[in-house]
Amino acid sequence: MRMRFSNSSSVPILDGATFIRSLEGIHEYRLDSNGLQILLAPDATTPVAGLMVTYRVGSRNEAVGYTGATHLLEHLMFKGSKNFNKAKGNTIWELLETKGALVNATTWNDRTNYYAVVPQEYLPSAIALEADRMRRANIVEEDRQSEMPIVRNEFERGENKMMHALDKQLWALAYTAHPYHHPTIGWRSDIENVSIERLKKFYDDFYHPDNATVSVVGSFDSEATLAAIIKEFGVHSKAPISSAKIYTEEPKQEGERRAVIKRAGHSNMVAIAHKIPAATDPDMPAILMLAFILGASKTSRLYRALIDTALATDVSTTCYQFRDPSLLISYITLTPRTRHEAMEKRLKQEFQKIISKGVTVQELTQAKRFLRAYVASRRDGPYALLESLNEEIATGDWARFVTLPQALMRVTAKEVQKVAKKYLIDDQSTVGYFIGTNA
Amino acid sequence: MKNEFHPAQEFPMPHGGRLFIAPTHVRDIVIVNGSVLGGRNMLPKTLNLVSLLTADLLDAGTAKKKKDVLRDTLAGKGISLSFSSSGDRTEFSGQCFPEDLSMLLSTITECLEGAIFPEAEVKNAKALALGNLAESKSNTRTRAEYALSALLYDPEHVNCALPIETQEKNVAAIRRAHLQDFRKKLGKGGLVLAIVGDIAVATARSAAEKAFGKLAVGTTTAPIKQVNKKLQKENEKLIPIADKANIDILLGVAIPLTVQHQLYHPMKVLAEMLGGGVTSHLMQTIRERDGLTYGAHSSLMGLDAGADGYFKIWATFSPDKYKESVEKLREEIGIFFLKGLTEEALNKRKEEMTGSYLVALSTTQNLAHSLHSIGANGFELSYLTEYPNIIRAVSLSDIMKATDLIPLDKLSLAASGTFKKK
Repeated sequence: MRMRFSNSSSVPILDGATFIRSLEGIHEYRLDSNGLQILLAPDATTPVAGLMVTYRVGSRNEAVGYTGATHLLEHLMFKGSKNFNKAKGNTIWELLETKGALVNATTWNDRTNYYAVVPQEYLPSAIALEADRMRRANIVEEDRQSEMPIVRNEFERGENKMMHALDKQLWALAYTAHPYHHPTIGWRSDIENVSIERLKKFYDDFYHPDNATVSVVGSFDSEATLAAIIKEFGVHSKAPISSAKIYTEEPKQEGERRAVIKRAGHSNMVAIAHKIPAATDPDMPAILMLAFILGASKTSRLYRALIDTALATDVSTTCYQFRDPSLLISYITLTPRTRHEAMEKRLKQEFQKIISKGVTVQELTQAKRFLRAYVASRRDGPYALLESLNEEIATGDWARFVTLPQALMRVTAKEVQKVAKKYLIDDQSTVGYFIGTNA
Repeated sequence: MKNEFHPAQEFPMPHGGRLFIAPTHVRDIVIVNGSVLGGRNMLPKTLNLVSLLTADLLDAGTAKKKKDVLRDTLAGKGISLSFSSSGDRTEFSGQCFPEDLSMLLSTITECLEGAIFPEAEVKNAKALALGNLAESKSNTRTRAEYALSALLYDPEHVNCALPIETQEKNVAAIRRAHLQDFRKKLGKGGLVLAIVGDIAVATARSAAEKAFGKLAVGTTTAPIKQVNKKLQKENEKLIPIADKANIDILLGVAIPLTVQHQLYHPMKVLAEMLGGGVTSHLMQTIRERDGLTYGAHSSLMGLDAGADGYFKIWATFSPDKYKESVEKLREEIGIFFLKGLTEEALNKRKEEMTGSYLVALSTTQNLAHSLHSIGANGFELSYLTEYPNIIRAVSLSDIMKATDLIPLDKLSLAASGTFKKK
């Protein structure tokens, strides 16, 4: 293999991979033979490296009957592949976890990832294993049968939690057509009954190099690592046909929707979800600032209004940044004396204050200082960087890792008020109550 | 595997205080983890939530600054700061930019010495505490944890949690004067302070000495804990909660160990062998082979430099399979103790633990946390780099001695969820 260096820096250039660009120490390549995207972010300050493979498939690619398939498949991907399996005594657990690696995978609406943070000498093993299971995983019925109850228990664990249960209902009600309607873990009956054929088809449809990004961060030799990726992942061909495009658009919402869950217990929550655009929309930076100012710290609007007055024990506002139009959700855990209706009214008053009067310069300044802290924390160790890159890959462009903080710093108070007016609309909202019937 | 750690230095502080500083290569982040002596173990059980409320309100107004001014000043700099309470200590953790370290440390000391606990804030904090207690009644994991502690310990032991209803009464009885009195216990005595990140040693040391030097002495020694008087025997407590899809179950037994005991590290290795990562015994059997749970894990709890703790196993089961799952769990624990304690299994686990230690210390947050734990548990700084060697030195003979402290016929069970009728 021939090696060169790019003109601008010490970024290695190898035959078989095309150098695309470098942004803030992250170097992008594309594997010539199959379109695999590669991101390398070397940082030799600790003797640890991290590898993540992000597949651009998530629960948005599922439909009725096989909701949760992405997640169940994620579990089956740990059962072994052609060259790394139980019979050979080199499953990922034997090969990497027993060496101290942090090994896991996560599934969400727009993506699925597999990662290993390892003492640096085990990085080549991690690359070889991930390449092998990209196209040679053993997806068999025997494993589905043994894994399904494990996933079902994971589902049950989530059901025990108030926020988890209410969140599911909010998304299910807010989305009637688009697949964000169903939870990533799937509906229980689908988890129990999805066939191995369907899971295998899912694997064959989406697990291809041209639908994935391999990211490597931390302490590693760039040339050797790039060479290893070219060698190990280069054996795979592009997908025979492009994965099906999701063309379903959520119809316009025409009025407020309401979800109520009543269960035994003392837990009580009110949540309000508003429709917002996709992550790459130009309004998104201002919406993120709005979310921060509403509910991200002890100086946020909702903390002061609801926790400092003992109406709530917990508040948070989450702006879900997804590939398709998404939700901005405020979750409020009530104190025993607070009634749901009163909280809903109070919460809407807080929204209205921002709509009518905007936010202060002080609030925006605070948000931007915390943003600087957040940007720094994304580089605190290999996993933090991998995870941040992964979420941007899922939205469609990893460079957003660099451009979004810049855009956030440019947001003005006027823009925050503008997006509040545009998106905090009752008719575009879904209100959820979790009512503990023992309260 | 190479052991390469960021170099950490220790500096003595007055009255037994310990200052750890570790510059790392991370940019724009400084993490502060610290604590002073003063926690619930120094209060009568009926008042032990005073320490919790005190921690909640340390940044809710001082003699110099009102709550909003204090919080807005920190937020204006992007500084995060929170206080919490543990058994012997009032803890604090924060993050700031390098140029703001002095401000963060001086704010911490201002809160410790000058918090005034306005009456309205005390009232709010009590309402919030009661709200959290009410919600915890529906939390299957919390209910099982509380129940297990009561099965294992006599009521006076520091690890014995009070029933939620008793805690509610105790919170209701707390007065502002209790918080004011407790705050007076907090000073620089027994300070443990870890500063890690994008900072020079001299700068950090100077800022720490300046900020904490002016504090009153406060509490200088941790209380001596009484040894558990409860006879260990197989007890069971089921806490039914309706409408739950999952049952949390805990098995456990009190063990007469503190973190300074010679069997502490063998016991840690044993817990990892039984129910650590996916290759551990319980994960390979109860989860991977039998599909009975998403996870079954064993760990040591309640231990510190002075308190004896307990060995526990936590798992979650479907209500439909609760009985058979518990039976299988107990059976597999027995099989592990009988057949699973081999040189091969031990060596594998030791390699995993030393590797994962290296991986964990690759973040500023985790390094700061580790340094604080070293200080609070009375270890030498060298423990940071020696830990892998300590783990490697654990022998099968040590593991066998540790197992002697876990009588399987005395493992108590606490479980919470919706139990199916027979």
